[in-house]
Amino acid sequence: MQTDAHEMDDALLKRSAKGDERAFAKLYHRHQGPLFRFALRMTGSYWAAEEIVQDVFMMLVREPKKFDPGRGTLGAFLYGVARNRIMKHLERTPRDFSLDESGDAGRDSHPQLQEQMTPAHWAELSERREQVRAAVLELPPEFREAVVLCELEEMSYEEAASTLDCPVGTIRSRLHRGRALLLAKLEMLREVPKRANAGRG
Amino acid sequence: MSFAGDIRMNCEEFATAGLHLGSAEVDSHIQKAAREHLRECPHCSVLHENWLALREDLRLLGAETAGAEAPSRVELRLRQEFRTKHKTFRSQRAAVVIGWSLATAASLFFVITWANWRLERGGNITGKLSNVVQTAHSPAGANLAAQNAQSATSEQGEVLAASNGSGEFTLLPDSMPPAPEDATIVRVQMQRAALGALGLAVNEEHAGDWIQVDLLVGDDGLPQAVRLPESSTETTN
Repeated sequence: MQTDAHEMDDALLKRSAKGDERAFAKLYHRHQGPLFRFALRMTGSYWAAEEIVQDVFMMLVREPKKFDPGRGTLGAFLYGVARNRIMKHLERTPRDFSLDESGDAGRDSHPQLQEQMTPAHWAELSERREQVRAAVLELPPEFREAVVLCELEEMSYEEAASTLDCPVGTIRSRLHRGRALLLAKLEMLREVPKRANAGRG
Repeated sequence: MSFAGDIRMNCEEFATAGLHLGSAEVDSHIQKAAREHLRECPHCSVLHENWLALREDLRLLGAETAGAEAPSRVELRLRQEFRTKHKTFRSQRAAVVIGWSLATAASLFFVITWANWRLERGGNITGKLSNVVQTAHSPAGANLAAQNAQSATSEQGEVLAASNGSGEFTLLPDSMPPAPEDATIVRVQMQRAALGALGLAVNEEHAGDWIQVDLLVGDDGLPQAVRLPESSTETTN
């Protein structure tokens, strides 16, 4: 099934390189979503994610021969290009936390949940989510990548390893350290339950 | 990490394995030992609860942006770039095709013009040669005709004229110039018409005239070249 998808990508890219705009559009629609979400979750900025996705596909328009099918799938190649752009973006702008630039992307996705909650609950949930978001964005990039792919994108270790072009063991250890760091950060931010202290004693 | 049998897990080991609890990748023995430890250790139990809460938060955070996609303006910009790139490419290709077509047409024109020029030049040479042959027997142009005729025989090989009074021998058709030591000059008197038998053109008006001819005879006894001494041409023509 995956092989079919890869073959389809290759065929679409060939047609696109010959000037078939519909093939290019199809290719764009197949990959832009995951790439955009990855960039968004890594940078925490809609504007940056938009720029990154645009850069990635611009490269594909201008230099389609940069992709070598013998070295991997088109998806992994695009993720690789996106990662480079993300790293450059993070170097330029070390902290950029606002996922709220869209103003509505998060809240509108769970309208039923909003209706059932009291304002107090909503405020608490909102605050917690903001803390988690900030903690994820504060992770070092290599741990953040693993957390984004495995926790937010819900990829398997193998899929994440293939996407980041590294061994599964590396993903596992980065994910473990990323999770541990997240926990530590959130524990610092939140009030640690008293029973935990009692337990230690 | 492997825990064989009923080996108990301590807090440090749980900190390593606990975050992967529930994952299909973790060995069932480890899962069992971790759960056992959770029941006994309130600190790790809290840690685990915190982790579960964090996982839920991460899941919600993921769901929050699960449907996020690049705005449509990105696609518009990319399509615009795609069209520009491929339009430029097509224009370049058309320019190359037109350029090559023009170059080919210019080359063809040059070749045809050159071929025509060569043909015209060849025609002029042939015309000149026939004129030479015709004037070969006229006394006025005799010298020039004799010289030209010799070169003409090599080119044409069809019409020959003896060099009237030039003092030079004219090779007969299909004969090789004999070496000087093997050749003999024989002066004979014959009717001009007899020159025709040697393969030379003869003016029919004077065909019956008697002329004196020098024949260059090879060692095989056959005449190889012919010369009309001036005295005889003056008297016979």
